[in-house]
Amino acid sequence: MNLEEVLKALPADAAEAVVELNFSQPFLRALGFEYQEMVPQFPVGRRAVDHAARKNVGEDTFLTSYQNPYLYMEVKGRTENLSDINHPDYRRAALQLKHYLLSPESKSVHWGLLTNSIHVQLFRKHGKVVHPVTPCLPITGDLRRIVKDIKQRIDKPRRALIVAIYNNKGGVGKTTTTLNLAATLALLKKRVLIVDFDPNQSDLGDALNLKPLKGKILEVLKSKEPATRDIITPYKFEHPRLKESLGFDIILADEDLISELDEARFKQQVKFHALRRSLEIVQDDYDYILIDSPPNWRIFAQKALCAADVVLIPARHDNLHSLQNAGTAITQFIPEAQAKRCEVGDAGPIALPIFMNNAFRETGPQVHLMHQAIAKIIKDARRNSSGFDLTPYFYPKNRRGHENRKMITIPYMAYISRADFMHMPAAFAFKPAREQYLNLVKEYFL
Amino acid sequence: MSLSDVGNLMCLPFDEIQPGQPTKAHEYLIQSAANQLGLEGRNWIPLVVKEIGPDQYQVIGNSFVYAVAVEAELEEVWCIIADDTPETVAITQALAQETQPKTNLSTASREEISVAVDYLLAQPSTPLKGVNSASLVTRLDEAPRKYWKNLQPITKLGCRITAGKKLKALEQVFYLTPEPMPDVVTDRTLLESLTTAQLKAMAKKRDIEGISKLKKSDLVNLLAAA
Repeated sequence: MNLEEVLKALPADAAEAVVELNFSQPFLRALGFEYQEMVPQFPVGRRAVDHAARKNVGEDTFLTSYQNPYLYMEVKGRTENLSDINHPDYRRAALQLKHYLLSPESKSVHWGLLTNSIHVQLFRKHGKVVHPVTPCLPITGDLRRIVKDIKQRIDKPRRALIVAIYNNKGGVGKTTTTLNLAATLALLKKRVLIVDFDPNQSDLGDALNLKPLKGKILEVLKSKEPATRDIITPYKFEHPRLKESLGFDIILADEDLISELDEARFKQQVKFHALRRSLEIVQDDYDYILIDSPPNWRIFAQKALCAADVVLIPARHDNLHSLQNAGTAITQFIPEAQAKRCEVGDAGPIALPIFMNNAFRETGPQVHLMHQAIAKIIKDARRNSSGFDLTPYFYPKNRRGHENRKMITIPYMAYISRADFMHMPAAFAFKPAREQYLNLVKEYFL
Repeated sequence: MSLSDVGNLMCLPFDEIQPGQPTKAHEYLIQSAANQLGLEGRNWIPLVVKEIGPDQYQVIGNSFVYAVAVEAELEEVWCIIADDTPETVAITQALAQETQPKTNLSTASREEISVAVDYLLAQPSTPLKGVNSASLVTRLDEAPRKYWKNLQPITKLGCRITAGKKLKALEQVFYLTPEPMPDVVTDRTLLESLTTAQLKAMAKKRDIEGISKLKKSDLVNLLAAA
């Protein structure tokens, strides 16, 4: 039977076992996997994911070797609601899939599929980050197009993870974080591109002693076939004791974006997905693309968020507004960007947990004050935006039955600001700073 | 029906029960719990005991409850009978938070080290004040710790851990199961952590000549290149 016939024959209230028995294999076959390339009930730690698949290479048959799975598929019953990302059924299923993808046995897995044979959603794993790449697609519609879309994405995985560093509030350390994350990732032998998308300040280039571009970004953003590679500036860090120079690439801010154009005209000339489209050209050259976005919710910030897969939000414990704005970004702005991306059949961006920049030590009255403020923000969000739970974004280590208010932090360090005066990233200049940012990278990405 | 009492919740006469590992809880906690319990009270959190003879039991978990029962002068206490394998004793004490958990530093992952260090730093009277946890975790993770025979090399990592109180604090949570050092070492960080005498002995073993006048850095270069 082909996939259409299988779907027609499935009862409307088919249970998980029925869907798994009838639907999984035809669906995976439609995605280009043969019978010998899929394993049902694939063991992951102590549990088992419904299906795992991988293309066979030479003699190595996946069905017999069980080595290096490439894709996991988690199947649910037809009665479970996977169409609404705020529904408890969906949350539970997505969390379960994420758990499988992140377990230490799943190093080779790149993709996760979540389906109940009515809807299907594709998740991508990049290092430690799991993010959706398609919205919950209804299978009932144009089946062939959906299968083709998913197959295309699986067959040609993108290399880069696009991260926007954003907070509506200024002065929380977006630029510093971007720069030092890039430097730390470069130290770990990753290829990194950073995009200074804050033309009003263009601090990022200045922090490295590089001059802003003149008019070139606008050209790229406007053009149908953007020549993104032409506007990339390499940054090299040399030191007599380093055998190879370290470095990353930058797209510097564009002075003309503020002087030449007012916002209304910019909006007329540049399409919403322009930044994403220009970055898609170069995304196979890099492991990470970091976008430094401006502290507002206007045209540049919107474009930055729309281009990103994930959003990293720095905040400061001693700044109430930075905490409130982080909450607003997660409950309002990011869903807005998601809706916009959904129109073109893409998913994302999703928010990563908030991290505290320039934090003090754990105890102390200021920290107590911060926890009180966060409790209020979480309560307000629950009331105002239909039960949205911000807790995992503020306290990522919190678990059921275990109140753990540990946050991801970068402590205040004189080194970090001192490196700014030396026009180089702190992670290159000072070992203690490097170790802090390494910690951050390990928490989020690797 | 099994004849054994293992797994059962039973009400036992208190004089049949021997104390196990005594609790270190403050007497204030014990007294106030005993006052609440009263003479006729029932201990809803049971003792965990093992059988050591006919009508003879010994506490293996929840020894705080035992101390409260003594204070409240209970005549009968509710107990769960456990078997007497060492594994059962270990898991019971771990679940009752009566043992200090330990991490094997020889094999631990970065996350495990990180959470152990974090635990130590969160203790109220930790001697590790002023230690930068991110630095300590990174340096521990990158050090050649699988060959360490004791924790002494931590003092050489340059993260303000000195032999004495601070190292003792780390010994609370870390233990080692060292691997023997391989004969041929070319890893530079590992070579640099050895003393000049050790390096010379190693070079001698590998029949490298003309080493007696070399400095440590030259020895490291020589051994790393070979």
